[in-house]
Amino acid sequence: MKADLLRRSVSWRETQTQNNEGMSRVESDINSENNASIDREVSTTDQANAIGTPAYHDLIVRQFVAATLFWGILATLAGLLIAHLLVIPKMTGGDALLSFGRLRPIHTNTAILAFLANGLFAAIYYSTQRLCKTRLWSVGLGQLHFWSWQLIIIAALLTLPLGITQGRDFSEMALPINLGILGTWVLFFAFNFFMTLRHRSVSRLYVSLWFYIVTIVTFPLLLAANSWVMPVDWVQSYPWVSGVHDSIMQWCYGHTAVMYLLLMPFLGLLYYIVPLIAGRPIHNHRLAITHFWALVLLLVWAGPHRLHYTAIPEWISSMGMLVGMMLLMPMWGGLVNGWKTLRGGVATFKTSVVYRFLLVALLFYGFSTVESFLLSIRSVNRLAHYSDWTIAHLHSGLMGWNAMLAIGMTYWLLPRICRTPLWSHRIAGLHFWVMLLGTLLTVIPLYVAGFTQSWMWNAMDELGNLVHPDFMESITSVKNMWWIRIIGGMLYLVGFLLLGLNLIMTWFSKSDSTANQATEDAHLHESVFRSEAGKLTPASNSLDNAPVLDTARTLDRLSGLQWHRCWEGSSRRFSAMAILALLLASVFQVVPAFVIRGNVPAIASVKPYTALELAGREIYLKEGCYNCHSQTVRPLVAETKRYGDYSRAGEFVFDFPSQFGHRRIGPDLAREGGKQASLWHWQHLENPTALVSGSIMPAYEHLLDTAIDFDKIGQRIEIARKLGVAYDLQLDAYVQDARDQAERVAADIVSSGGSIQRGDVMTLESQAVALIAYLQRLGVDLNAPVEQQEDEVSDGDSAEETVSQSGQPSELRNFEVAIVE
Amino acid sequence: MDNQHENHSVHSSSVGTTDQNAQYESNQDQRIPRWWKLIFVATIAFAPPYFFWHHCGAPGRTMADEYDVAMAANLKLQFGAIGDLTLDRANVVKYLYEDSWLKVGRAVFKANCVSCHGAEGGGLVGPNLCDDQYKNVKDIGDILKILQNGANGGAMPAWQNRLSANEIVLVSSYVASLRGSNPAIAKPGEGREIPAWPPAPIVTEEGDNTSGEDQEI
Repeated sequence: MKADLLRRSVSWRETQTQNNEGMSRVESDINSENNASIDREVSTTDQANAIGTPAYHDLIVRQFVAATLFWGILATLAGLLIAHLLVIPKMTGGDALLSFGRLRPIHTNTAILAFLANGLFAAIYYSTQRLCKTRLWSVGLGQLHFWSWQLIIIAALLTLPLGITQGRDFSEMALPINLGILGTWVLFFAFNFFMTLRHRSVSRLYVSLWFYIVTIVTFPLLLAANSWVMPVDWVQSYPWVSGVHDSIMQWCYGHTAVMYLLLMPFLGLLYYIVPLIAGRPIHNHRLAITHFWALVLLLVWAGPHRLHYTAIPEWISSMGMLVGMMLLMPMWGGLVNGWKTLRGGVATFKTSVVYRFLLVALLFYGFSTVESFLLSIRSVNRLAHYSDWTIAHLHSGLMGWNAMLAIGMTYWLLPRICRTPLWSHRIAGLHFWVMLLGTLLTVIPLYVAGFTQSWMWNAMDELGNLVHPDFMESITSVKNMWWIRIIGGMLYLVGFLLLGLNLIMTWFSKSDSTANQATEDAHLHESVFRSEAGKLTPASNSLDNAPVLDTARTLDRLSGLQWHRCWEGSSRRFSAMAILALLLASVFQVVPAFVIRGNVPAIASVKPYTALELAGREIYLKEGCYNCHSQTVRPLVAETKRYGDYSRAGEFVFDFPSQFGHRRIGPDLAREGGKQASLWHWQHLENPTALVSGSIMPAYEHLLDTAIDFDKIGQRIEIARKLGVAYDLQLDAYVQDARDQAERVAADIVSSGGSIQRGDVMTLESQAVALIAYLQRLGVDLNAPVEQQEDEVSDGDSAEETVSQSGQPSELRNFEVAIVE
Repeated sequence: MDNQHENHSVHSSSVGTTDQNAQYESNQDQRIPRWWKLIFVATIAFAPPYFFWHHCGAPGRTMADEYDVAMAANLKLQFGAIGDLTLDRANVVKYLYEDSWLKVGRAVFKANCVSCHGAEGGGLVGPNLCDDQYKNVKDIGDILKILQNGANGGAMPAWQNRLSANEIVLVSSYVASLRGSNPAIAKPGEGREIPAWPPAPIVTEEGDNTSGEDQEI
């Protein structure tokens, strides 16, 4: 087998000197048997049979590759559109369907679940068959998987602009769509995958498959945990838990699922494609084993570091930080192995486009993982959080690591799945440089913007005053960076179009010139994945005669990892360990967060939202306000000076779902209540720039022009009751109360100079009034007097009073009544 | 020319010893790099002591404690020279004439008031603070009361729960100081014209500042 490798490297050199694009003209012992020019399909099958490999099912790979490209272009377009909206907020003319808050989830979801996931499926379907030396178990299931996945994405694209959203970070899509993802994954994808594994003709599972297995097992479990919500109707659902608890669900399960998807299977792909490009087995099998298991055991614990300094229990935050730090080396294991295998292999930067993509992907991976390590440290995270730094981190990871790898893979796959040489290597080479430049021009300005924002928010003068007390300064000063980032995005798009051109031209150019490709690949696979490659050297016997305990000898033997050999024969062990890791993390991290009551000390003055405020909150979710505004003030001096007292866990107990947010390109709203006049909010929603010069907030005129559906108020109250909030009155009372409160807010607006009517809609029945009622409530309960509820609503009528009284925390939620300070 | 060499071909005729072969053989016997193991073990070993240190219950280590310490230090830095101010008219008048303290009021104003009163106090939704007409203020002390309790049925919010006493006094002084300035965007005057603010206080027993002079801090 070593001879095999040698031969390949030499033959490659010859190829290079001949400057021969395809391999067709290189005669070899093997392809000479098969150079009869017959129908492509048949010839490939024959060749495959010649060396004992089955005919692989590649149609599905072709489909997924095409889908990857299509959605990649769409995700980039969506990204470009919302990037424009930040610098030209009025670009979409204030259209409700095309506001930043509704479009951003489209960008994130298509980038991850459409573009990258499709690329991943292509990789898994292609490599699993080869690594198992067996045909895909069921072609039909594969087709179901492909089409239902695309339908899911289309459904998401259609629903998100309509404001049909769960309002939870990275889990915006409505519950039926989420369940669709889950069902497709489990029934059509996982089942087919495991059946294929079962019918494999290779006993040991190669490293890539380990990564695929744990992803395929863990992703749906995390998704299911995060989708544990109460459905109301076809489009709406609410999480069973509120505030801090829901945040923990969102970030420990929902977000970790996404991160899992972007790390583990891509490492699997790396372990598959790098040896093939380098023409030699992975550098260090022992390292692969170690870092794989470390990742499996640790990754699911790291979620809470994204909630540092929020009101989550501090021990969870510490856990997230410490595990996040532990993950550095496990993540770097992939880098070391990938780098050492790739460098010095048969491919070089000059000769191979795929090599370039892989090399840059590895560089970005190394950078991103160090950054992840830093960002999980609390004191670094406090600077980065809510600023564009986080956005930069995401983009450098996704564009630099995931997309580079996926596109490198696409270029490698194209000649294979189309069975013809790549149409143009020159264009592929151009794509590489355009894409690299595009990535850098997207990522670097975002870092600069993030650092600028963070510095401006935290800067204090020598007297302890904020240097930039006006929030708008942190927006206007980064706008230039946002412009540069658009140029980067455009280059990225050009890159995609180049790939598209190449793909189409390759796809439609029929040629038998690489008919021997399958055979070559089969041999290459044989040598890099199944030969001595990846064999573990026997454990050293150095301790045999040393004066040490038997335990030490045993440990020494175990550390040789020979025992792992038998593990590699069973996919069940991998699945079981992945589930075990998830269970451990849940039992020791998430469950205690829920059951220990002291985690969320109750605050007596915090009362449930009124009916109108609930309606307003729904608008807040629907419009995706959380995409720009956070709702949590961290216990940091610069922050409390700007926004007011820091947020306590007990303040969020009625927030279904939690709206902590992740980015501040609008000011924090946790203490917004009572900060501005209602008229101000009214005019601000109508035309933000009239009140805040340079504001990038979209205008929400449609909220002023649409009436509140008071008939739905009762339904909302009932939902809240089911979730355990104490609304003890008759439903009619709440409807009446909502009307009364709307009237009061409207009276407030009109008396300070607002109009009484806008078009056909009275001010007192517009949706804006509900939203304003909600905004005016945010964060005021902390300092509300506990005893004098009745005095507070002196101007209210009887309905209002009864609501206030009934708003006492009841037995239902079992809150401990404790007065904070 | 870009040569897609990953289409490796198998060529049996040429066999030779290359660097790559040697490297490949040495690869086979590699153990996990020592630096990798060391850093991994270090990050794991760091966790339990840190967790214990942070959560053992000793004061000053939790985020809330850290915040209290930092806030106290900030308050000392900011207001150490004047101590806790009482919310009275005399203080508003006193700091109206002390430019260095007006800067503190300005920072508070910029953080909380500009959305309604405009960046320079010329008025937007809220009234113009730079002219001689006032809606609810007859005397300089009224500014303080409005800041504490709000006005116009909540259109002007109450700030007593949001700002410290010192901040309320200093922002009152700053608002008073805006009178007579010429903002770029100015709303027409509302309310009645009121007499000029009282002059700077005369020297007090411990102070040596004379009227109208800046005070060093």
